[in-house]
Amino acid sequence: MKFFLKIFIFVLPLSEAYAEGQKSAGLPQMDISTFPSQLFWLIVTFTALYLFMWKFVIPRLSTTIEERKDKISNDINDAENLNSEASKILENYDDKMNSASLESNEIVSSSKATMNEYLDKLKKDNEIKINAMITESEKKIHQQKQQSEQEIKKATIDTIKSIVSKYVETVPSDDEISKKLN
Amino acid sequence: MAADNPIDPIHQFEISKIAEMQIAGIDISFTNSSLFMVFAIAATMTLFILGLSKRSIIPNRMQMLSELSYNFIANMLRDQVGDQGRAYFPFIFSLFMFIFFCNFIGLIPYTFTVTSHLIVTFAFAGLIFLAVTIIGFMKNGLGYLRIFYPSGIPIFLAPLIVPIEIISYLSKPISLSVRLCANMLAGHSILKIFAGFIVMLGFLGFAPLIFLVVLYALETLIAALQAYIFTILTCIYLNDALHPDH
Repeated sequence: MKFFLKIFIFVLPLSEAYAEGQKSAGLPQMDISTFPSQLFWLIVTFTALYLFMWKFVIPRLSTTIEERKDKISNDINDAENLNSEASKILENYDDKMNSASLESNEIVSSSKATMNEYLDKLKKDNEIKINAMITESEKKIHQQKQQSEQEIKKATIDTIKSIVSKYVETVPSDDEISKKLN
Repeated sequence: MAADNPIDPIHQFEISKIAEMQIAGIDISFTNSSLFMVFAIAATMTLFILGLSKRSIIPNRMQMLSELSYNFIANMLRDQVGDQGRAYFPFIFSLFMFIFFCNFIGLIPYTFTVTSHLIVTFAFAGLIFLAVTIIGFMKNGLGYLRIFYPSGIPIFLAPLIVPIEIISYLSKPISLSVRLCANMLAGHSILKIFAGFIVMLGFLGFAPLIFLVVLYALETLIAALQAYIFTILTCIYLNDALHPDH
């Protein structure tokens, strides 16, 4: 549609102009008398623009863009350096952490061992003490048992003597009684 | 025929003299066309003067804009031509900025579109055509004529291919200039016609108004696109001149 409109717009004024005997050119584009002026001013303005672009704009713009590129690549380099430095520090830190944890493990295990030793020792000491106390008290019990047995024997003998003396004239000796009792 | 028609779409392309000037009997008056050429380069210069005033590592808006346009054209030239194109960068960059601002300033109502005149676009296209041909012969000598006979074509096709290639080569400046001029001319005429409909239809004018808004957006796109196309075709022609083998 646009194509036809273009043709229409081009052709219609041209044909009218032709009909009017080309006195007033229909399309201003076809008016040859304006061509020198247009060309002259086009050359003047475009040359001015060309010189402005060539001498002023392009050198400045390209240096600005180059500077920015340099700055960015420098910054990227710096960032990479810092990054590698940081990873080195991280490695270092990891190493230190590892050795520290190893050390602390060692400390923990060694202190555990000493603690166990101490506990064992304490246990043994206590056992010895307890055993000593047990034997001592067993001894005491034994002594008291013997003592009380003897006392009971004595008392029994005395009782027997007194009972027997009530019924019999001759009182048996202690040895006899104890023999009989056993 | 045009003066008494209030919505004559062609009226906006008329050239009126602002100051009479003559050199050796040739009329080179300062016209509205000249004025808008000056506006276009003034806009370009303003953009770059503002954009280059600070030149900081972290750009502000204007600097961003000027650097964007610089990189856009520099990348286009590098992609199309390669490193040999660097010498022509100032021209390509100026060309793009000039056409771009001419197209855009022309979109403002009551302004004049410099690039809607065939003589202006043809001046550019002719200059590019001549320059490309001269560069082609300077860089390749008579070997530049190879572009008229692409390699790998059987010899019996040569009588057919060579004239076609010559015609297509010679028509490059015409197609280049007419494309830009016709786009600007047609687009602005249609805008004017629909703007006239709004007035003519009175209350019902909202319908062409909606259409005009859509069309205006399209024309804005076309203004940028045509500047881009003109520039990239220049790069392609330049590439043909520098590397005629492919």
